[in-house]
Amino acid sequence: MGKKTNFLIMKLILCFFMLFVLSGCLGEREINDLEIVIGMGVDKDESPDNILLTAQVVKEGIAGKSSGGGGGGEDRPFWNVSSKGMTIFEAVRQMTHKTGNRLFISHNQVVIFGNDLAKEGLQKYIDFFLRAHEMRPTAFILVAEDKASAVMDAKPETEKLPAINIGKLVKTYGFTSHFYKVNMKDFASCLMSPTTAPMAPLVSVIENGEDKEIYVSGMAVFKKGKMVGKLNEDEVRGLLWVLGEVKSGVIIVPTPNEQGKAVLEIVKVKSKVTPEIKDGKIMMNIKIKEDSSLSEQTTTENLATIEAFEKIQEATAEVIKQEIMKAFDKSRELNADIFGFGEMLHKKYHKEWKNLEDNWDVIYPTIELNIDVESKIIKTDLLKKPAAPNEGKK
Amino acid sequence: MFGYIFKKISYLSLKNKNKDMLQDSESGENNSEPISPDLEKNLEVIKDILRDSSDVTIHEFNFGHDRKFKGALIFINSIADKEEIHKNVLQPLLYGELLLRDKVDMDFNKMDSIRKNLISTAANVKVTLLSDLLDNLLAGSAILLINGSKEALAIKPGKRESRSIEEPGTEAVVRGPREGFIENVNVNIALIRKKIKDADLCVEKFVIGDKSKTDVYIVYIKSIANPQLIEEIRRRLKRIKIDAILESGYIEQFIEDNPYSVFPTVSNSEKPDKVVAKMLEGRAAILVDGTPFVLVMPLLFIESFQSVEDYYARPFFASVIRIIRFLSYIISTLGPAIYVALTVFHQELIPTQLLISISEGRERVPFPAILEAFLMLFAFDLLREAGVRLPKPVGQTVGIVGALVLGEASVEAGLISPIMVIVVSATAIASFAVPSQTDSGTVLRYIYLILAGIAGGFGVIMGLLAALIHLASLRSFGTPYLWPIVPLNLSGLKDALIRMPLWTLSKRPEAIIWKNRDSYNQGQDMMPSPYKKDNNDSK
Repeated sequence: MGKKTNFLIMKLILCFFMLFVLSGCLGEREINDLEIVIGMGVDKDESPDNILLTAQVVKEGIAGKSSGGGGGGEDRPFWNVSSKGMTIFEAVRQMTHKTGNRLFISHNQVVIFGNDLAKEGLQKYIDFFLRAHEMRPTAFILVAEDKASAVMDAKPETEKLPAINIGKLVKTYGFTSHFYKVNMKDFASCLMSPTTAPMAPLVSVIENGEDKEIYVSGMAVFKKGKMVGKLNEDEVRGLLWVLGEVKSGVIIVPTPNEQGKAVLEIVKVKSKVTPEIKDGKIMMNIKIKEDSSLSEQTTTENLATIEAFEKIQEATAEVIKQEIMKAFDKSRELNADIFGFGEMLHKKYHKEWKNLEDNWDVIYPTIELNIDVESKIIKTDLLKKPAAPNEGKK
Repeated sequence: MFGYIFKKISYLSLKNKNKDMLQDSESGENNSEPISPDLEKNLEVIKDILRDSSDVTIHEFNFGHDRKFKGALIFINSIADKEEIHKNVLQPLLYGELLLRDKVDMDFNKMDSIRKNLISTAANVKVTLLSDLLDNLLAGSAILLINGSKEALAIKPGKRESRSIEEPGTEAVVRGPREGFIENVNVNIALIRKKIKDADLCVEKFVIGDKSKTDVYIVYIKSIANPQLIEEIRRRLKRIKIDAILESGYIEQFIEDNPYSVFPTVSNSEKPDKVVAKMLEGRAAILVDGTPFVLVMPLLFIESFQSVEDYYARPFFASVIRIIRFLSYIISTLGPAIYVALTVFHQELIPTQLLISISEGRERVPFPAILEAFLMLFAFDLLREAGVRLPKPVGQTVGIVGALVLGEASVEAGLISPIMVIVVSATAIASFAVPSQTDSGTVLRYIYLILAGIAGGFGVIMGLLAALIHLASLRSFGTPYLWPIVPLNLSGLKDALIRMPLWTLSKRPEAIIWKNRDSYNQGQDMMPSPYKKDNNDSK
């Protein structure tokens, strides 16, 4: 216990306290000073070099109160601040002229790009969203059918905040599988791939008299960072069948006697894609196993028989096949590898891939698909026979 | 770390004191001379020593045939049992049949013959030294002196005024014995003896305190407790040189392992069943006269989350409650710190909707969150302290005023955000769930809060690490404080965060016990089950 140990301990104590002072990210900010951004929209500005950034800032005083609708209906719980700039970051900082505090974007839920901007290319605008330490890589990315700022303006009915509402809409893609949620991280990893085409769901505003409704459906397809086309709802599901990302959805097929419709709900989907190169021809073997339940029928016939089931299952498989083909045809038309077939080939045939990679654009349309769908009805929900008068005992 | 600095300072100041003390003790020898056979001389000495005490009674009397023997009875009015003295000493001496006979071949100048033939109470001790005589006299005994005898007889008082046995205020239970220790140490030992009727129960007496001469007892079960532990307790008790022991807390602070730790290493209890249960696990108890709080050692950290009722209730409920207690300890120490860290430094970790409501609540608050937390915690501790010290009827008013003013009005006035009120009240409630760690929890709560205010989650983690390192290095009478988690002990874990059924707990804790680990015969399967026909070997 000499002076040496004494000195050492004093040094250690000093080091301990220096940790607090010297560490980098100790930004202390009181919660009520924050400008909480929940959504951002990027549009092209009238002047050619500039972009128009719209940030949706929460007005905590109104948004936090449980009884939202007070007296004046004009009290919107959010504030769409917009600013112009050459780049996103410049625009973000320009915004402090209006907000009085720098934006707090850790809670940003969605980033919406305007249609014009998407067509021009997102490559140069996406950098900020990936680089900024406050930005979440799990924020959803969407493309507006028209202007992003218009989407941000439409006040939803049940939710208070439009951006939260859009985030919620995107997360519920599973009920129909008519679009697919894409976040910043997914988008960027597709963007970095030499072959796979990035995609983002499309969002539009439907004007219904005075009300504005937000509608998310379909996907925008990008190639080399530029938007080249759109997939409609069926095509998106065709794509998701292959990716194995169909969570649920509705399939309508004619009943065996062709009089009405049997409506099936998708319960469970498994898919497997194995690429194959044969005699220089590329073949993708797609195997899909689908379980569904009979959720609705419009006829009086009893569908709960083995014969009827087999017919419906066949018809379902055919529908699925057609959807996949539709998606594939569209991707061939756009020459964009939305399925990620390139990456699959790369994994299985690394040697051959070197030759394929450079002229992938030429090779892609020549790929052939071999689709094998196994569809199965596993339940008929609460009814066996339809609620109709019994026609004979057979 | 702070301990080290404290140590340095106290070491320096002790250095000087020790020199003085050595000189003191040399001159401080007194009263160890023997009792002289001359009664007059003895009385003079005693009168001289106690000349300023007006409640000392010296009763001189003659007894025996012809009243030829001289004797004196000395006692202190206020503490001696006069009725007892009269009945057991004076009456037989003065009017005893034996003495009134003409010829008695007994030498009443010898104390032994008086003691054996005349005194009708067993509670008496022979003393030969003047200092012993005084000690006994001041402890309430009546002293019988006989002219010509070198010995005196100290007759101990029969009954002492004491409170009746009641349910302890600090450890109320739903199920379990209601009796609690009281201030009279003899009653307390009786309460333990009533529960363990075994010859192995040892009660060792120490007298500590130069002025108070307090009776202190080590109680343990010889066949279970580790002799090294008992030896260590003896050693630590002998080291205590102090004027008075007024409460067992005095003893605790002199014998604990790490006086600079916020964590207690000695536990205390008011409940005999709890103390006995711990003794059966190999611990030792220290009973101090004048206080209902009995010290038990060694203490494990995990004991703070255990309650006697855990063993009286069925294991499922007991386990759930234990986990809740553990969580409540975490909330009570870290609650405000985590709130401050999250809202000031890591807003991105709060769910968006919650962030918006917290932000809304804080809109009008003029203080930074750390100051807000300090104000609320200060107010809470203030309320608690005020409520405890005040008489009961007034104490309730404090609670109402506190709840109304601090809870309601400060939020209305926009001084405090409603979420902070929730956080602090949750912390307050949680802190009452683990009573034995309330002291350490309160200190740690403020430390963590400061760390959170300086460096957010990083600071809290640093504080937690420091606490963990400290806890892992802490020992209580040789037992690792974090046992059975560090060092890991699987059979110990059966009765740690969860409580396994009693019939599986066949081993006593390894860390405390050195022998006799089996608490019952291992050959027997204790699992309860209905009678089975094919299972005949149970005969």
